[in-house]
Amino acid sequence: MLAYLAKRVGMMIITMFLIITLTFFLMHAIPGGPFTSEKMLAPEIEAALNAKFGLDDPIWVQYINYLKGILTFDLGPSFKYPGVRVNDLILDGLPVTAQTGFLALLCVAALGIPLGVLAALNQNKWQDTAVMMFATIGVAIPSYVVATVALYFFALKLNLVPTFGLDDWRGYILPVVALSGFWLSFIARLSRSSLLEVLGQDYMVTAKAKGLHPFTVLFKHGLRNALIPIVTVLGPVVANLLTGSFVIEQIFALPGIGRHFVLSISNRDYTTIMGITIFYAAFLMVMILIVDMLYMLLDPRIKLAEKSK
Amino acid sequence: MSDAKTSIPSKNWAPARLGKGEAEYIAAPSLTYWQDVRQRLWQNKPAMLGLTFILFLIGAAFLGPLITPHTYYDQDLKLSNIAPILEVYEVDDGQGAPTYFFMNSGNFKLYETNEHGALKSILRAKKKDLIKKRHIYEFGDQQVFVDFSQLPARLLDAEENQLAVYGTKWNQTYWFGTDSLGRDVLVRQLYGARISLTVAFIATLVNFFIGIFYGGISGYFGGNVDNVMMRIVEVIATIPLTLYVILMMVVLQSGFISIIVAIGTVFWVDMARIVRGQMLTLKNQDYVDAARTMGAGTWRILTRHLLPNTIGPILVTLTLLIPSAIFIESFMSFIGLGVSVPMASWGTLTSEAVETLRAYPYQLFFPAAAISLTMFAFNFLGDGLRDALDPRLRT
Repeated sequence: MLAYLAKRVGMMIITMFLIITLTFFLMHAIPGGPFTSEKMLAPEIEAALNAKFGLDDPIWVQYINYLKGILTFDLGPSFKYPGVRVNDLILDGLPVTAQTGFLALLCVAALGIPLGVLAALNQNKWQDTAVMMFATIGVAIPSYVVATVALYFFALKLNLVPTFGLDDWRGYILPVVALSGFWLSFIARLSRSSLLEVLGQDYMVTAKAKGLHPFTVLFKHGLRNALIPIVTVLGPVVANLLTGSFVIEQIFALPGIGRHFVLSISNRDYTTIMGITIFYAAFLMVMILIVDMLYMLLDPRIKLAEKSK
Repeated sequence: MSDAKTSIPSKNWAPARLGKGEAEYIAAPSLTYWQDVRQRLWQNKPAMLGLTFILFLIGAAFLGPLITPHTYYDQDLKLSNIAPILEVYEVDDGQGAPTYFFMNSGNFKLYETNEHGALKSILRAKKKDLIKKRHIYEFGDQQVFVDFSQLPARLLDAEENQLAVYGTKWNQTYWFGTDSLGRDVLVRQLYGARISLTVAFIATLVNFFIGIFYGGISGYFGGNVDNVMMRIVEVIATIPLTLYVILMMVVLQSGFISIIVAIGTVFWVDMARIVRGQMLTLKNQDYVDAARTMGAGTWRILTRHLLPNTIGPILVTLTLLIPSAIFIESFMSFIGLGVSVPMASWGTLTSEAVETLRAYPYQLFFPAAAISLTMFAFNFLGDGLRDALDPRLRT
């Protein structure tokens, strides 16, 4: 277990290093410096700015400095907001993104799995049809369409929820629904098909035949096995909730990381783009590692050290 | 079973005659795997509906812009924000020549049409009384007031009575209405469809030419080759696809070509993984050994024996990847990183509609419906294909 963990962390560090290098050189390959804009700066000012941010150093010196900064969790200054560091931007947006993201994840797990179980236990009855219809709609309609249509009906027409901001709990409803819609449906479909497959297994019949309580049969024998494929997609779910927040935060004007990221792109704020990308990648890798660990706890048959060979 | 209803008189019983070879008689024609797949797909109504929609979309996207009189970039600011469905009013000017017009409830302007709903021009108000919040229009000796002192705005005649609607007409000039710059929404939708379909086509191409062969080679050779190739894939897969595409767009400047390049460079990863997994199990099959014994080379084994046998999972993955590529493009365009103006994609059309959501909510309808229906179509087709290709679901 420990050896496996060490190996995974080692892989993570190498991957992180590659991602940092790649984003760094990609950002520096863009023609024009970060201070190139419609308004021409006087050459002296540009030179002074370049000197201040160390942009007149040779590229490998800049690269080493950037790596050093990352080791001390410093992602450098923002080029567009004077005096603001990328760390501040991330810390500023993190609570908003984390709250909506966590609520969405909770919705996905706490509603998606039970809906799938409900559908599987009532296969081909109306509950199944209803859940599958809902899930098909949820998978097919893009999140930004859900968000804008919901915004129109519930915020503008019916005035049930605010159109933007998170000032009270009602402000969370639409962003969380729009963010979780796709994955909730996806998880519901997946848990349905996964549980259906498990329900057809011989050991389920055996468990029933030896007189176990139906709940024990369902939870201990059925769900525990059916959950394994669901846990494997939780990693990608977290990743997609994170990127999904770009558009949701834009539609509902939420000041989260996703919004900072999109803004930094249109502002061509290269250090912020780099910093947030690296932050996302690191966050995701940790999440995927956690999911893999969960996976092992859930299914003792899987020996991860062997699997990774 | 001595039940009267089920008992059969003994005279009706006769020994069955078993002719030579009849025991092995096959009642139904034997079908190959692909005939069977086609038959099951054909019977799957949602899948066929999806396929029909996709074919219709391809036809419309290809031919539509060629036959409409409008272009996606032609602006007519006088005719901006026109709805697709018009409430036409009729006013007689006193000499027996009727004028037909409708009111744009978003900007309180009147537009002249003919009686069928074809647009003519914007009408000029005779007087604008901003204190009483009404515009006065004159048709010969008839006066019409646009009263917007309370919303929704009303049309009043000279005696302050509300005008009766002549008829609700479909906009004959702009079938889907116009946007905030007076551009035809229908033709912009069709160009949006072109973009989405091009993205789908590129995604397919990339998956076929890079994904399948990358995965195939990795799985077939195994060992160190596999290790190195899969580590590369792992690194790419660690960054979410959207993030990757955004980074590429930053480097390449936003625009349609950049989207194509961005999707093209990273979109094959999932396919490569699936093909590799398939390959790992298939390459140890006896028929591969047999082919090798007969002197077939690596290339031949790969292309003639292994890849055709992975075509099922490849097709299913593809039908899932295509909508995701279409989604990514519209997502990028929606947040303003996609196609550049005046080009239209379903994503930019939706985000433009969001800007005018309060005044002209119907503008959201067409792009939202187009992208949703397309996603439905591909999803239905994908589900149907998966069911048809899975031999375990055979009845």
